[in-house]
Amino acid sequence: MTKIWQIIKYEYSRHVFNKRFLFSLLSLPILVVVMVLVTITIALFSTDTSPVGYIDHSGILSEPKPIEIDDSIFNPAIDFVLYKAVPHAQQDLEAEIIQAYYIIPEGFPQQRDIELFFLDSPSSSAQSQFRQLMLQNLDTFQGLDPQVQERLQEGSMLTIEALDGSREMREDQWFVVFIPLIAGLMFIIVVMTSGGYLLQAVVEEKENRTMEIVITSVTPTQLMIGKTIGNIGVGLTLLIVWLVFALIGVVVGGQFWPFLQDISIPTHYFVVMILVFLPAFIMVAAIMSTIGAIMTEMQEAQQISGLFSLLITIPFYFFQPLMENPNGFLAILLSYFPLTAPITIPMRMAFTTVPTWEIMLNIIILVVFASCAVWLSGRAFRMGMLQYGKKLAFKDIFRKHEAA
Amino acid sequence: MSTISIENVTKQFGETLAVDALSFDVQPGEIFGLLGPNGAGKTTCIRMILDIFQPDSGEISVLGGKMTDEKKNRIGYLPEERGLYQDIPLERCLTFLATLKGMPEKSIGPQLTEYLNQFDLCHVRDKKVKELSKGMQQKAQLISTLVHDPDLIIIDEPFTALDPVNTEMVKDILEEKRDQGKAIIMSTHQMNQVEELCDRILLIDHGHRVLYGTLQEIQTKFASRDILITPRSPLPSTIDGVMEVRELNGRFLLALEESAEPHQILKNLINQGIELTAFEIAVPPLNEIFIQVVKIQERGKYD
Repeated sequence: MTKIWQIIKYEYSRHVFNKRFLFSLLSLPILVVVMVLVTITIALFSTDTSPVGYIDHSGILSEPKPIEIDDSIFNPAIDFVLYKAVPHAQQDLEAEIIQAYYIIPEGFPQQRDIELFFLDSPSSSAQSQFRQLMLQNLDTFQGLDPQVQERLQEGSMLTIEALDGSREMREDQWFVVFIPLIAGLMFIIVVMTSGGYLLQAVVEEKENRTMEIVITSVTPTQLMIGKTIGNIGVGLTLLIVWLVFALIGVVVGGQFWPFLQDISIPTHYFVVMILVFLPAFIMVAAIMSTIGAIMTEMQEAQQISGLFSLLITIPFYFFQPLMENPNGFLAILLSYFPLTAPITIPMRMAFTTVPTWEIMLNIIILVVFASCAVWLSGRAFRMGMLQYGKKLAFKDIFRKHEAA
Repeated sequence: MSTISIENVTKQFGETLAVDALSFDVQPGEIFGLLGPNGAGKTTCIRMILDIFQPDSGEISVLGGKMTDEKKNRIGYLPEERGLYQDIPLERCLTFLATLKGMPEKSIGPQLTEYLNQFDLCHVRDKKVKELSKGMQQKAQLISTLVHDPDLIIIDEPFTALDPVNTEMVKDILEEKRDQGKAIIMSTHQMNQVEELCDRILLIDHGHRVLYGTLQEIQTKFASRDILITPRSPLPSTIDGVMEVRELNGRFLLALEESAEPHQILKNLINQGIELTAFEIAVPPLNEIFIQVVKIQERGKYD
């Protein structure tokens, strides 16, 4: 156990305490922060916060009840200025004192018609806040129940519910579509990082010819367990750090974008993701170490492992058909194929109700495949570890074993 | 108790018989030479001792029984295929390899520093292994073989890439380890080093035992009827009982007649008034014995 721990520590620390890793660890959060900052800056400079004028012939806004606005950089509170006559408002518009002016005709309550004058299209904040102001000051609105008033102010909210009540989809939960995408992307990054490092670790062991010394100190199984856990740890570090940054991003971003505060992942979805990702991690790790044991050079090994990476990412290329028909033939096929299952299953679950038995069957297939991959990697490792400079033929792995 | 005991061990790879019914033992406090031409089965034999390969038949006992995890910690191995982690500093690499030999991290430091000083590698301890010269890497490899103070040391060509000064130092270390009661198996093609260091040797060819015993026994077995002398005065043109006289670097090799005995020749020389500073039975160098034996084996194989 101590020796496995030493190998885990060695594998983990040699990657994690490395400038290259720190760079890749921080590059994504920094990129996201920079993008957010750029968006905020653009919003700050592009949103026109100058007042909006209006000429009221209807008398609705003669003594307007002000609206309550959560002043933010994306929705700054706009002042509304009352003008007696059009020429005065026009003059201020041309002098860029106001960004636009409305003319509310006398017969507005009946005609529901209003005129807007501007040089450059006024900001969406200005338009929505004026609409709110008008709504709030209409006589018909004033006479309504406060709860109805609130509902009217919030607007409609469409909720689609399955007949058996198993699922529902709310209009404001559009981000649910992104969860499988983000989860899949995270899975790929972690798996590719860990798998890549593991591949490197096994090939280097052969390239450096250290294998013979190491296996006279530890068993091949101890060596592989240590290497696999150590390198999966590297990938998980990447994932955890990014998740922490994402959490900070959601908390901080929630101040500006309220929908972020509503993001939540259903528990069953989370459990299934763990049950799918865990055997998938082990499966990919085993595949990578098999490639490492068979190949003699890093470049060659990377090329082969690239093919597997391509297979894992296939569901992304079929995102649209999977979204349109999550229980179709393609979706079912991809969720039964072990390499594409880790991304397909969460994707289907986000778009439809996948029968529990089917999810369980997919997970069992993944576990069986992962076990076979581990067995295969063990054989390849034992057969290939002492063949310095010689490539191990795939059929050799299935030969009657000669190594201990 | 023998440190290693091998009884009738056989190992076959496909059609190739790598080791054929081989038996030998290695005792504590001896340097044991494992010799043989390329492809003779030496490495397979070492790998079976180290439990990397399992024998097809026969018994192997290491440090008193079957190989265990604990016993692996008591073995130092310098393989033929040298290897160290190239992309990390030397000290870190050696520390990691020492921890895999069960050394507590705290005790590695002082021991390692001592060896780094002895091998003159202290100044490069923070350098990456790949930045070191071949000789330095060889010394580092020797440190990783010895740092955990193993009871059984198996070294394959330990003097490769070493300069004469370091070669002498390594020889001294090996002798010191032998005197401490450690068992050392040395596989090399440098026969002069075997003659200098080994107490017993095993010569294998095509997987089976060809020669086995103390160096003296083997050399005596292959000794011809020659005498090597170092005279103070010139030799007479004829010496009774001597067929031929050949000069060898200031010494003379006397080939004896069939009926002559060495003590008679010594008597004759003294009677003839020749002063001698050295008189010895000419022993064939191990190199010659090796070539002779291997050639006989080859002939036997093709006849």
